[in-house]
Amino acid sequence: MQAFGSGRSRRRREDPRLLTGGGRFVDDAAPAGALHAAFLRSPVAHARIAALDVRACRAMPGVALALTAQDVRAAGFDGAIGAARIATATGPGAAPRRPWLAEDRVRFVGEAVAMVLAETLQQAHDAIEAIELETEDLPVSMLNAPGGPAIHDEASGNLAFDWSIGDPDATKAAFAAAAHVVEAEIAQPRIMAASLEPRGAIAEWNGGALRLDYNGQGVWGVQRKLAAAFRLQPEMVRVTTPDVGGGFGMKAFTYPEHYALALGARLAGRPARWMSGRGEAMLSDNGARALVSRAAMAFDADHRLMAYRVETDSDLGAYNGENAQFIQSELFAKVLTGVYDVPAAHLRVRGVYTNAAPVDAYRGAGRPEAQYVLERTMGLAARRLGVDPADLRRRNFIRRFPHRTPTGETYDVGDFPRVLDGALAASGGFEARRAAAEARGLRLGRGLAFYIESILGDPVEGARVVFEEGGTVALHVGTQSNGQGHETAYAGFLADHLALPDGAIRIVQGDSALIPKGGGTGGSRSMTAQGTATLAAARAVIEGFEAFLAELEGAETAFDGERFRTAGSNRAPDMLEAAAMARAAGREDLLDLWREGRLPARSFPNGCHVAEVEIDPETGLTRVSRYDVIDDFGNMVNPMLVEGQVHGGVAQGIGQAIGEFAAHDGDGQLLTASFMDYAMPRAHDVPPISFGTRPTPCPANPLGIKGCGEAGTVGALAAMANAVTDALAPWGIETLQMPFTPQRVWNAIQGAGRAAAG
Amino acid sequence: MYAFDIERPTSLADAKALLAGEAQALGGGQTLIPTLKQRLADPGTLVCLSGIAEMKGVTSGPDGVAIGGGTTHAEAAEGLKDAIPGLAYLASRIGDPAVRNRGTIGGSLANDDPSACWPAGALGLGATIVTDAREIAADDFFQGMFTTALEDGEIVTAVRFPVPEASAYSKMIQPASRFPLVAAFVARFPDGVRVAITGASEDGVFRWREAEGALSADFSPEVVTGQPEGPMIADLHGTADYRRHLCAVMTRRAVRAALDGTGGLSSAGA
Ligand SMILES: Cc1cc2nc3c(=O)[nH]c(=O)nc-3n(C[C@H](O)[C@H](O)[C@H](O)COP(=O)(O)OP(=O)(O)OC[C@H]3O[C@@H](n4cnc5c(N)ncnc54)[C@H](O)[C@@H]3O)c2cc1C
Repeated sequence: MQAFGSGRSRRRREDPRLLTGGGRFVDDAAPAGALHAAFLRSPVAHARIAALDVRACRAMPGVALALTAQDVRAAGFDGAIGAARIATATGPGAAPRRPWLAEDRVRFVGEAVAMVLAETLQQAHDAIEAIELETEDLPVSMLNAPGGPAIHDEASGNLAFDWSIGDPDATKAAFAAAAHVVEAEIAQPRIMAASLEPRGAIAEWNGGALRLDYNGQGVWGVQRKLAAAFRLQPEMVRVTTPDVGGGFGMKAFTYPEHYALALGARLAGRPARWMSGRGEAMLSDNGARALVSRAAMAFDADHRLMAYRVETDSDLGAYNGENAQFIQSELFAKVLTGVYDVPAAHLRVRGVYTNAAPVDAYRGAGRPEAQYVLERTMGLAARRLGVDPADLRRRNFIRRFPHRTPTGETYDVGDFPRVLDGALAASGGFEARRAAAEARGLRLGRGLAFYIESILGDPVEGARVVFEEGGTVALHVGTQSNGQGHETAYAGFLADHLALPDGAIRIVQGDSALIPKGGGTGGSRSMTAQGTATLAAARAVIEGFEAFLAELEGAETAFDGERFRTAGSNRAPDMLEAAAMARAAGREDLLDLWREGRLPARSFPNGCHVAEVEIDPETGLTRVSRYDVIDDFGNMVNPMLVEGQVHGGVAQGIGQAIGEFAAHDGDGQLLTASFMDYAMPRAHDVPPISFGTRPTPCPANPLGIKGCGEAGTVGALAAMANAVTDALAPWGIETLQMPFTPQRVWNAIQGAGRAAAG
Repeated sequence: MYAFDIERPTSLADAKALLAGEAQALGGGQTLIPTLKQRLADPGTLVCLSGIAEMKGVTSGPDGVAIGGGTTHAEAAEGLKDAIPGLAYLASRIGDPAVRNRGTIGGSLANDDPSACWPAGALGLGATIVTDAREIAADDFFQGMFTTALEDGEIVTAVRFPVPEASAYSKMIQPASRFPLVAAFVARFPDGVRVAITGASEDGVFRWREAEGALSADFSPEVVTGQPEGPMIADLHGTADYRRHLCAVMTRRAVRAALDGTGGLSSAGA
């Protein structure tokens, strides 16, 4: 057993089940006889609802219920989803009403207008077509800047908030005194999470109690929200989660469909099920990123950073996502200045409503965006200043810890030069590869990005350990796997700490009835928070058994990592034997324990990514030819799972860099409403990714771990962009915006050629 | 999807009889099923052609190669390997394995998507499209985007290809769908060179005559200099100028591949 170093790699034990059709997802879990839900969605981006008539729809075969906003009110419910509001100098951010079903107005294509429950899905879809919806167009605003046609009465100029952090005066003074100033405008297009399994849910009422089985990232928050919406005591709402096919933050929140489905099931008196179609998902899932930043760096004559300034316009879509106001503001600010020692910094962010689906968290939520802006600007600075990108970074690294950043975060530990050295060593030999590519008519570019990210979410987590009859042990967790491999990580972790066989441990997640609370999954928190709680529970188990056995034996008993040993006794029971003895003695209290763990502070994973891209100047095609990662995740519980998280994160970053883009036309119609136009990355787009670590254990949790779930994405965006701009350097192209599609790269080269010729 | 009935004939004669009414043919369903799922079509009855043995398989003879209209892309790729490597390459690069294992040559030609691969192969080789009623030369078959010489209910039962001295396919993929953004099929025959371009023109697949003339005189990439004229498709993934430019690039690369005997190349990797 190795409790406090890195653990050992175990293969994912959930994979045989998930890969052979043994998974049980929302669509597999619906009770027989559940009604099927379908939604009428707005076909236009902004309009007044002139008429909404569901009489013909109600008369269609198999229809049990048609629900509109009017019916929600008639049932006595307010029928709106709230959102957290950011505090600004002039008060909280705007809180326009976001109805479950559109009331007098629709504000984006895909907004839910009405819901039908019918005996079959076919009938539900047929009935949707029988609804008469008449709309009168209103001017559409797709402008990610304040001042477009008004979308909400509550937000003048479509401004949701104007928030800032840092020291504007000190920053200004530093810029005035700077030897060099580097400025860049950096856009991050709107993208989609596009989880493999779209959103879905099953709602069922029993007496006055609601059960919602849904595919999300945690159950307790949803339980609270549903209880409030339906004016129930929380214990009257049970929220559960079956297997979930990908979340990425997109599934961390409630959506109108959850509430409408619950109300529909109640009014119909029958369980009701809903599974989003792919096109529906593309229209109605929370979108991601969608911001444009103007960044500036001030350097002294020795190329040391004096100040950093960012101004961002963040497209929020048509309504506040539940956590949206915090993403490009507070979460971005957590790592605003990255790994650099910057004396002064300032960030100003304006949140803007547009006539498109709401934008909320997506893998990294604010930190990839911040590191992208920072590291692209750093790359540009190296080029403008004529210095090596690695040297410029090294010169500006934070070297003493703890370090308090200009935005008030305290980085606990890190060794950035060592990570950088590792990455440079891992990615050596570039010049030879560049020459070989040139010989084939291709341009090779190399991009370096050094990122740091901050673990988010509830610092508190609980773990319940239950010794079950028959020799199994259930570990109840408050987090939620969406495919990450938690079952493997947690079972291995508990097995190591209690000296149990992996196979004896059962991981139980996603049921608000089984443990009182939990923080869910998000912000790379799961292993740090759940591991700390599980460790507390494991210790309590050991202490309980030690005391019990000591009493039984009449002498001091201690667990030696394998067995309980009592001085002068031949009996040395292992964990399961001790549990059986406790059970025989009627000590059930020792067999079912719940403990909470609290992280005293945040951890800050960091690392260096080096991407190499090969550009075909004749077609503009960008291919990622090599990718090297060196990370500092502190200790690792299961290094193989960690590496898998990095691979997935990098793949998502590459996808965003080379192809993903949710494009709308000026009328707010989504142009990329299927995978025929929305470019997801494919296996061939992602090269083998080399991965290594240079750990500095985190002092802020007993395990010394830092978290790894989002890190791959956080580092990948700027590494990719810097590689592309490096490859395009001969044409003088400095800030081409993502995604680097063949068309866009070719256009840039053509434009540069024309500029040179002209 | 609207409700529909499905018929599964096992002979061409039965299929023909079933298609006489309002019914629609179902090949591999790789185009039709997604259309139905989006409720963009409501055919009432589908007549599934995949159980008709006489419409399947690849046969080589002295006059060339014949491919049954119900042959999947994957089966065609395998069966064409030795006879026409360029065409085998084309078939092997359509979509992904799931698409290739279901989608058929007959369905692809009947559909005549302006960005489809088979139309470029058929036109580039001067194939003959055989239906349950007649034979149609490829030059007469394709009549613009999604428009062919087929009558309602007419079934593509086979496609006959002459064997060229050399041929190759060069495909620049549209990053999302992986259909051709622009692709060129080049074939050299003793009496001249044919060049067919897909993905580019608003009129669908077309022969680029200027390039054919130059290549017939000198089959080498450098002679492909100009760009084709006519209205080009412009969309999210490529402007008209970009597509026009790619026509020449893809043609040159196809010629090079034909000279190297590699069958072709794709921007989606090997
Ligand atoms: C993800 C994806 C990627 C794809 N990528 C490519 C690509 O790279 N290149 C490419 O060329 N295509 C691509 N396709 C399309 C694919 O090749 C289809 O299989 C093909 O276009 C249609 O063939 P099908 O047999 O599936 O026909 P269906 O979808 O079954 O039918 C299409 C049409 O043809 C009619 N039809 C079918 N068979 C016959 C017949 N024998 N005679 C007369 N009419 C018939 C049907 O009535 C219907 O109108 C892709 C499809 C998908 C889903």
